[in-house]
Amino acid sequence: MRLPIDWLGEFIALPDSETLSDALEMGGFEDVSVVSHGPDLSAVCVGKVLKCGPHPNADRLSVCTVDLGSEEAVEIVCGAPNVAAGQTVAVAPVGTTLPDGTRIKKSKLRGVVSKGMICSRRELQLGDDHEGILILEDSAPVGKALPEVISLGGQVLDLTLTPNRGDAASLLGIAREVRAHFGGDITIPDCDPEESGPASEENIRVSIDAPDDCHEYVGRIVRGVQVGPSPEWLVEKLELSGIRSINNVVDVTNLVLLEFGQPLHAFDLGKISGGEVRIRRAKEGETLTTLDAQERKLEPEDLVIADSNRAIALAGVMGGAETEVREETRDVLLESANFRPAQVRLAARRHGIHSEASYRFERGIDRNGIDRAADRAARLLAEISGGEVATGRLQDRGNEAPVPPEIRFETARVNRLLGTDLPTGEIAALLERVGVTTLEQAPDVLEARIPSHRNDLWLHQDLTEEVARIYGYDRLPTRLPSARLVSPSRPRGWDLMEAARDGLVSAGLQEVVSLPFIAPEQIEALELDSDDLRARPIVLANPIQEEQGALRTTLVPSLLNLARNNLRRQFDAPRFFETCRVFLPTNPGQLPQETRVAVAVLVASEHPGLWEAPAPVFFEAKGVAKKLLNQMGYVASFGLVGIPPYLHPGAAMQLEVEGRRVGVVGELHPKVASRFEIEAPCALLELDLEALVEIPEEEIRAREVSRQPRVRRDIAVVLDANQPAGEVATAIAKAGGEMLRDVEIFDRYEGRGVEDGKVSLAFRLVFQRDDRTLQDAEVKKTIGKLMRMIAHRFGGELRASQTSTKEGGIEG
Amino acid sequence: MAAEPSHLVSLTERAIAEIVDADTIHALNAVRSRYLGRKGEVTSVLRSLGDADPSERASLGQAANRAKQAIEDRVAARRGEIENAERNRALGRQSIDVTLPGAGPLAGRLHPISLVMRDMVEFFTGMGFSIEEGPEVETEYNNFEALNIPDEHPARDEQDTFYLEGGNLLRTHTSSVQIRAMTGREPPFRFIAPGRVYRHDLSPRHSPMFHQIEGFMVDEDVNFADLKGILYAFARHLMQGDPELRFRSNHFPFTEPSAEMDYSCRLCDGQGCKVCSHTGWMEWGGCGMIHPRVLDRCGIDSDRFQGFAFGMGIDRAALLRYGVPHLRLLFEGDLRFLEQI
Repeated sequence: MRLPIDWLGEFIALPDSETLSDALEMGGFEDVSVVSHGPDLSAVCVGKVLKCGPHPNADRLSVCTVDLGSEEAVEIVCGAPNVAAGQTVAVAPVGTTLPDGTRIKKSKLRGVVSKGMICSRRELQLGDDHEGILILEDSAPVGKALPEVISLGGQVLDLTLTPNRGDAASLLGIAREVRAHFGGDITIPDCDPEESGPASEENIRVSIDAPDDCHEYVGRIVRGVQVGPSPEWLVEKLELSGIRSINNVVDVTNLVLLEFGQPLHAFDLGKISGGEVRIRRAKEGETLTTLDAQERKLEPEDLVIADSNRAIALAGVMGGAETEVREETRDVLLESANFRPAQVRLAARRHGIHSEASYRFERGIDRNGIDRAADRAARLLAEISGGEVATGRLQDRGNEAPVPPEIRFETARVNRLLGTDLPTGEIAALLERVGVTTLEQAPDVLEARIPSHRNDLWLHQDLTEEVARIYGYDRLPTRLPSARLVSPSRPRGWDLMEAARDGLVSAGLQEVVSLPFIAPEQIEALELDSDDLRARPIVLANPIQEEQGALRTTLVPSLLNLARNNLRRQFDAPRFFETCRVFLPTNPGQLPQETRVAVAVLVASEHPGLWEAPAPVFFEAKGVAKKLLNQMGYVASFGLVGIPPYLHPGAAMQLEVEGRRVGVVGELHPKVASRFEIEAPCALLELDLEALVEIPEEEIRAREVSRQPRVRRDIAVVLDANQPAGEVATAIAKAGGEMLRDVEIFDRYEGRGVEDGKVSLAFRLVFQRDDRTLQDAEVKKTIGKLMRMIAHRFGGELRASQTSTKEGGIEG
Repeated sequence: MAAEPSHLVSLTERAIAEIVDADTIHALNAVRSRYLGRKGEVTSVLRSLGDADPSERASLGQAANRAKQAIEDRVAARRGEIENAERNRALGRQSIDVTLPGAGPLAGRLHPISLVMRDMVEFFTGMGFSIEEGPEVETEYNNFEALNIPDEHPARDEQDTFYLEGGNLLRTHTSSVQIRAMTGREPPFRFIAPGRVYRHDLSPRHSPMFHQIEGFMVDEDVNFADLKGILYAFARHLMQGDPELRFRSNHFPFTEPSAEMDYSCRLCDGQGCKVCSHTGWMEWGGCGMIHPRVLDRCGIDSDRFQGFAFGMGIDRAALLRYGVPHLRLLFEGDLRFLEQI
């Protein structure tokens, strides 16, 4: 909202602009500033004429030495007759562009170099006075920018209202705020019109048919107006306020709207048929062409102003074109009404019209200001258009709007909420400043009467806010609470997410955060089964763009996009993860199922570094998965089922904890990789944190370690090449008995020395007993047993066996 | 005196000369055995003592033992020298190019949002606040109605909302968590609710997704002074130095009284600069005393209990802490960018 400072000054005496905007900003208004609407003169500065002498080669010019507050004074050639030494003047230094576009350059005038220009009012576009240079007050500080020194006219207070403060949407409203902060008296402009001629009712009758939606309707008739341009002062006030001048009638309604915050509308009385104005709900199929020349289909929820035939205005929102005031209009009906805020708000939204009027009605107007506004507009209109105000107001009332009651409260409640110790008298005085009158009904019990313009004060808490606002939030005490202790809690899902973050970061991955929106086609690209919930993402009703039309059911597509983008930027081997929620569909209308996931992408390096001999990405990802789950307190196992279609069927495994699926790890299916344009080998690790929430962490039971020496034995076994090594290792671990402590696959070899179609797998076995040193013979015996088992179950044969070594035995 | 001692003297000198010449352990052992071995020259002198003149035997024996000891000492000393030299030669052979880079482990990093969020959460959990989350897709009721923002109220316009087909929405603030956390709970309690929030906002300075942290505390006498105290302590935890805070009156439908809070710009120390639009202040968030109607809707007796709530953005704190020029960089997943933080 923009309010000209000078105009506001007609209502109440103002402090300086900075004090004013500070007080309003701290007192509840947003983006408060006082801006100049004159020309931009910020580069023009104050100068002092130190010397002034005649120009050697020109009679009419003088050469002045001017101090601009910088180290050296400058010489300026000046043509004005009134320039003299000792004057304080406005100087445009070299490099300044004047409002008319002239750029000041260093120039030679008849042989004398001039470094700037001493300006006249006209050159600064501050007036028409071209007689001579602008002479400033002697006290103006040399070197200061001109706008800081003189008022450039057209100062405007610009601010944004919070939605509760409809009462402040006017000059009067802001003047009341000024009074609350600084005191002073408010001058209300003259309102009483001089009435003449027949009573208004002779022209027209007003009746409210929708009493819930229209609380009051007041009309004023002005006869014999001469529609034409508004006087200069009116145009200027409106334009500084950001409202375009239309004609004197419309301008008057806008002027009064700005003054009092009461929206008004002017109808051409001659176009209203049937001698009546009704405020009613629109009829089925009714239409109205509004002032913006749009034909609008009305709905029964709409409230309209109608004559006997048709709707002539959308109540509180916009007038109709047919009854618009035009040049030929002679008699005018001025409308001043009070419509139900929600009614106006919903209509404005339905029709997409947001007008100055609807803005104010939505926020609520002063129910006692309706007559005054109608009178003021009628009076002004008569004054400037030569019309005559008809005798009497037209008036009808609907049901009364709910009105804030008198609020009775203990002042201790105010102090209890604010943490203050304000005496009752001070609370009453603070409320008085915002127009709330109080009566001390009992000791420290006040009854507050709410002024008619404040539709937002209903509870003692609302009054407390007024007290705090005027007292100043910054003056309220600051202290740490002394509170009752509460045993703290946190969601397990939160902790799991944090643990996943730590685990993945410690595995060398970068965390990313990306938007949850995705194009549905990107999910289709994963070729999920049709019964997979993830195949049916929830779509947004109002997406920002089509490519962001749905909510992610899986992070896979967005993270693959990120991988591709990073590869395109020549980032070698991107390894990153995100952990957040995905949104799975439920029944229509119900909230989606939000599932926490952690998904990591590992892309193989194209250019391994000096020490890197990386494992294939699948195994890297598998290693990360195992380590991650371990760090999170789980023992991971891997299964061969449940591989989603976007992973390579021969290079993926299901992640399991206690036999339950908790995720998947695998290389990207080549088809999907090519769809997402990822050429380097790429593995995914997906962890379903929601599944882990259900599984308690593995309980850790630490026990004493054995002091007996360990015996290590490596065996190499030749097996069919397609024999999964993990199965053999598991079988060995199972069959090895109590003294076999560890089985590790440490080599896999195909090629020379191994028959075609076969593979040599090497296992490292560690044996140990807790009670005594192992005998070579018993190890040998166990290995023999294991070999028979391998031969029997897997058809394997021993390729080599390395002599056992005793290592790290601790003597007891 | 017989000539024997002088014979021993020259014998010793010869032995010492050979010891000095020996430059391997092997050569040194050979020298030692030549003189002190079973058939060594000094050994034979000692063995032949029995044949010596009894009057000279004692002194000759002593001299021979002295010679033996001198040679042993020199052998031991030389052995040390040779071993040292060999060790040094071995170290030389084994030395590596230490200027090559170190190997692994790979460095992973948390996202700046996670870093700042953890810092914030740490402060509040230290103050005994519990963590509560709530869903990111919310009902209109929890996001608006219950927070005293009815559809017909202009306050609705302040938030551009993403709607789902069917009327649910992406939460526009973490304040919806207040409703979920308070409903069915008996004060006292204090919670924080960090998380992602969404606004339908196209302007390049904003992002449709960002992060907020909500905090609220309810008991019988929790008041605005307590709120200010907590926020001052939080600001000191979060920002270097001793930031100043400013509380401006404002309107939020779910708090009454309400205030907007600013902190003094850290870049210019409140003097005014480009980052703070020359005001010296940076907007921090909103706060206030929870509206009695909100408490009532959650089944909490607003006559007996009262409390504060506040909410602030996490993203901007991350931008400022790490000098990130604009918000969108945080969500683009450019690893070159993220690796810097």
